[in-house]
Amino acid sequence: MSGSEFDYEGTLEACAGGDRAAFKRLYQQEAGQLLGLAITLLGRRDQAEDCLHDALLKVWVNADRFDRSLGSGRAWIYSILRYRALNQLRGRKQLVASNDGFINYMADETAQAEELADARSSARQLRDCLRLLERPRRHPILLAFYRGLTHDQIAARLSAPLGTIKGRIRAGLRALQECLQP
Amino acid sequence: MIPQAPEQRRALIGEYVLGLLEEPEATEVRELIEHDRDAASMALEWERHLLDLADALPAQTPSPALWQRLQQSLGWQSSVDQADSSLARWWNSLGLWRLTSAGLALLVLLSWLPGVLRDSASGPSYTAVLQVPGESARPGWVITVDASGTLHLESLVADQIPPDNSVQFWTLIDPKDGPRSLGLIEPGKGVTLSAEQIGAVQAGQLFELTLEPKGGSPLNRPTGPVLYIGRAVLTASN
Repeated sequence: MSGSEFDYEGTLEACAGGDRAAFKRLYQQEAGQLLGLAITLLGRRDQAEDCLHDALLKVWVNADRFDRSLGSGRAWIYSILRYRALNQLRGRKQLVASNDGFINYMADETAQAEELADARSSARQLRDCLRLLERPRRHPILLAFYRGLTHDQIAARLSAPLGTIKGRIRAGLRALQECLQP
Repeated sequence: MIPQAPEQRRALIGEYVLGLLEEPEATEVRELIEHDRDAASMALEWERHLLDLADALPAQTPSPALWQRLQQSLGWQSSVDQADSSLARWWNSLGLWRLTSAGLALLVLLSWLPGVLRDSASGPSYTAVLQVPGESARPGWVITVDASGTLHLESLVADQIPPDNSVQFWTLIDPKDGPRSLGLIEPGKGVTLSAEQIGAVQAGQLFELTLEPKGGSPLNRPTGPVLYIGRAVLTASN
């Protein structure tokens, strides 16, 4: 449901103008995918729905602050959802037990540089570039994105020293931006 | 200190977007993003790339109540919805379900319910009796879908569930689409869902209540045992 034809920027601008039908279209287009991410981050459907509710209220209320010259409207919506979900996670005392099967699977996906040589860098997607990283750099980035873990929590999960994890993430992000830069 | 070199700055903003920075660095970067257009654009660019990871996840259907709740929070509740809830109050005030034994309630329900609502709308109406799986003599819940398409779920039992669990309501129209969550249910308490929330009901449509971890299934399908299950039966088609 990446909805490449859906006009996120135009819809957000319509929301900024008070167009309720536009907000409903946005909900129908994106609520399911947003909820999928919220459930993955928070591990509980009820809290994920609370998070989605709060995030969508913010989208409506702050729609006039969206500026299409800064970037993608869809990315702006996800930034609001992720920010709320991360706040909810940071407020918890305990981590919720989670099944990291798919994260481990993605962490194991390795590609050879030649596989991507044909793709122009402007067309490369993050997952393609992640596959080019070595597993020790890729895995912490996946845990940060899908589980919202902090450096400390990632270090504990992967049984590695904190400094090592910080260094790997930083190096991984630099390699990603190099791969993604047009 | 926020680095000036664009490459380093971009990577640091990436860490911020992932939620990895601690204070005071996080606040420094947040303020930079608020005041510097280039930084804001870098942050949004990271977020756009991360959409590729979000899209690797399956979408999950929100419970029908979420849209209604959003409209309430925004102060948009339409007059149609208000009419629905006043009907629900009238309906609940009858206390019909609590008057009689389960079997008698069912008989009463099947015989007069469609007639009562016939003049208010013109669609078909349905009933489903949800029973303990494999035990046809133990009805636990009754679903009625009236001619306006509104679904009422009413309890005939007062089950206790473990404190670490929730009961979740599901429907299955076509096995290839998989079950759709209709939200969490309080044991022993009914719920009313509008036609818009529930969609068109078909004869034979499956409804079930499952025992899930507290807060509901973490997946887009039931993960726990089925407590009650039943299929919709057409009771009137005008």
